[in-house]
Amino acid sequence: MNCDQAKLFFAEHWSGTLPDQEEIELERHLGSCEACRAEAERLAPLWSGLASLPSEEPGPDMRGRFYETLAAYRDGAATAKTSAHRPLRLVWQIAAGVALLVAGGGAGYAVRGQSSGPSELAQLRGEVNSMRQLVALSLLQQQSASERLRGVSWAYRVESSDTEVLSALVSAVNHDPNINVRLAAVDALHPFAGSATTRDAVLQSLPRQSAPIVQVALIDLLVDLKERDALKELERMVSDSSIDSDVRQHAQWALEKLQ
Amino acid sequence: MNKTVLGFGLAALAASVLTAQDANPLRQSIKVPFSDATAQRKLVVEGLVGAITVRGYEGKEAVVEYTGRAGNSRSSANNPPPAGMHRIGGGRDMEITEDHNTIRVGHGSFMFPTDIVIQVPVDTSVNVSSLAGGAGGISIENVSGEIEASNMAGPVTITNASGSVVAHSMAGKITVTLNKVMPDKSMSFSTMNGDIDVTLPADTKARLKMKTDNGDIFTDFDVTLDPQKGATTVEEQKSKGTKNGKDTRTRYRARLDSTTNGIINGGGPEMQFTTFNGRIVIHKK
Repeated sequence: MNCDQAKLFFAEHWSGTLPDQEEIELERHLGSCEACRAEAERLAPLWSGLASLPSEEPGPDMRGRFYETLAAYRDGAATAKTSAHRPLRLVWQIAAGVALLVAGGGAGYAVRGQSSGPSELAQLRGEVNSMRQLVALSLLQQQSASERLRGVSWAYRVESSDTEVLSALVSAVNHDPNINVRLAAVDALHPFAGSATTRDAVLQSLPRQSAPIVQVALIDLLVDLKERDALKELERMVSDSSIDSDVRQHAQWALEKLQ
Repeated sequence: MNKTVLGFGLAALAASVLTAQDANPLRQSIKVPFSDATAQRKLVVEGLVGAITVRGYEGKEAVVEYTGRAGNSRSSANNPPPAGMHRIGGGRDMEITEDHNTIRVGHGSFMFPTDIVIQVPVDTSVNVSSLAGGAGGISIENVSGEIEASNMAGPVTITNASGSVVAHSMAGKITVTLNKVMPDKSMSFSTMNGDIDVTLPADTKARLKMKTDNGDIFTDFDVTLDPQKGATTVEEQKSKGTKNGKDTRTRYRARLDSTTNGIINGGGPEMQFTTFNGRIVIHKK
């Protein structure tokens, strides 16, 4: 076993799922290679840090869905619009997970010399945020609305400076096929209220929404943001007779609040 | 007892279907098998106008029943067949496809209000959406899986189901009865004008997020309310007091933020209830 092979087995080694034969080979390698042993020792705390995250078990149908999409991919079913690009996405997710682990290892390597307690902790916190981000982003792309709703609730756990999660939420508000997911995504934008991107996105989203309940949620968000740039759009809504009468009244209420 | 009632109900149902077919020669019935036993069964119904019923039954294939238009044509009155001819086919009919255990029911090219009943095996995930234009309800009964329903016209009614529900009605009522919930699934129920009436098993663990702008929230669950959220804001309201016809008072009204957060049975995945004008009722089963 060489160093590259050994590193591939780290995760399974820590989680205790490595088959006996590989476990023996890995331990033999760690016994003989100081660099790998040091790296394993350095990364082990990160692994246990990840373990303290709330567990996210794949649902029972995840396996079925994976094989379903894999089969579709193998058959070259490029015309099946819902499943054609899903295997690629899964591959991307796995690749991203691996890349993250490697990046974490690399960063650990870089700060090796000066690593002290607090900076390791900060790094760990950063890693945990990245993992949460990854979970939120990948759940937001699932086919099931219930899974995407979970993705939205994970978005509350990332730091509010996270622009990737913010843009995934904005995309959900504007493009998610399910109205309930859009609605939840609007609520999840509240913690991101400090960013100008959020304000712009909400302003641009309002005229694009057709579901009254989502329009109301966006109006509420604009009031919470004290977004005076919304006045013009709200005025337009109040006088647009094609809009639900309750929404128009709510827009009127928002105008009074903001003025 | 329950089983007997269910059995009787199914027998009665089968009988009524037969009668309906006898009575209405335009009633079509199409059987569609699920092709892949290893994947989760899924039914997607989209792009229809009218009443849609999905019902779980003790069978292995989907049975789609609907009433075709007279002569299966857009309108036999406006579009009569040429003299001496009768219609044997054409477009504008129901379109049903099956791909890797997902059955899709929709329309080929032309939408007309329909009254469709689809029977599926009990363990089937269901995603039903109907377009604005009709007034028909979406009704989903006796299925177990991930259920998504969105009705741009009428109400959404889900009964005797298990799994998870994500339901929206533009203006109608949402009624959901779940016998069993999946422990890690998020759910959401939303409507602009209707009530939301949801019955959950007594041991359901969940984080509840409930919002109604103009209604009330009721439950017989033991809810631990989250005091940090749902902040009270004090609104100053100048009202012209008419008592004795002279005093003008300023009234302060405590206004609770319209979102109420709470947990049941120690908390779990998020369940969101959103209505603007309706009330929210959460029953313990």
